[in-house]
Amino acid sequence: MIAINSINLDSALTRAGPAAESFARIWKTIWSQRYIKPEELELCRLTFARLHADEDEIAAPNANVPVLSATRRQAVLAGKALESAEFTAGEKAILLLAEYYWLDPQSITDEAADDVKKHYGEPGLVLLIESLGIIDGRIRTARVLRDLKTAKS
Amino acid sequence: MSAPRASGPAEKTGNVVRDSAMGLIPETVSEILKLNGHVWRDSLVPPSILETIRLRNARTVNCVFCKSVRYDVAIEDGLTEERVSLINDSYRESALPPREKAAITLADCYLGFPAGADQKAAADIASQYSEDEIASMLVAVMTYNFTSRMAVSLGGMPEDGTLPIMQMSVSASST
Repeated sequence: MIAINSINLDSALTRAGPAAESFARIWKTIWSQRYIKPEELELCRLTFARLHADEDEIAAPNANVPVLSATRRQAVLAGKALESAEFTAGEKAILLLAEYYWLDPQSITDEAADDVKKHYGEPGLVLLIESLGIIDGRIRTARVLRDLKTAKS
Repeated sequence: MSAPRASGPAEKTGNVVRDSAMGLIPETVSEILKLNGHVWRDSLVPPSILETIRLRNARTVNCVFCKSVRYDVAIEDGLTEERVSLINDSYRESALPPREKAAITLADCYLGFPAGADQKAAADIASQYSEDEIASMLVAVMTYNFTSRMAVSLGGMPEDGTLPIMQMSVSASST
């Protein structure tokens, strides 16, 4: 049985009603917008899964994106993407900002934000920051729900 | 004040959210406004509980704007500044009612590094809330968290302690 994770979270939240439905629509939208490629957001999801040390999240298949190459996936999960030739300069800019964001949004440097804007423009920066919050929020919520379920059983 | 990292759309609408940098993404801005409305209007817990969660998040994220806001519906539901002052590190020993303490515990489980609930936290939360209410509060804290982290990430935040307490209407922040 697959544990609750950021990808399958909506089924666990439907009981919350219209707010959960609205959140699910935003989640769906971030995987089909035109500013940041879904594959680039998947790199961020895996980065957060690594930072949370969340094995259930790492194992979760994401049908919203094409399957990543094993080399790229392993590099992200090992925390080596920023030094790897497998990633473009734009992807590295995204992943560096994601790491700052996860640690603390106040730690994001102007240089890191400017580098994302250089590759993706202001809309790209805004969409990325929105998406990072939504992805991390869903990972966090899945973790809390898993723990509550375990405690109950 | 730090410099903003993105500006809003050139064409202004008069809506503070749509005219902000969030307005650069028309694919999401309308749904985010709707989400905020649903979180407040369709919640399975009262607005004063939601405001407790929102302010706990604001304090943790250190969003200066978010910390200075009080939602009208929460005030109408009995939220006072005296109660707000108790949403601090000593909340467990405070005079806050058990349901508010359990709501803060849930918010802290979400906001923690790592996120998650230990046995005591899980028991405290389950003793006060149904599974439906917990789901409703988790959608709320996700919403408050990603929007406040967005505000911080995009820059332009005033210095801490420089803003007065401001009342915000749900209708103004959800249409």
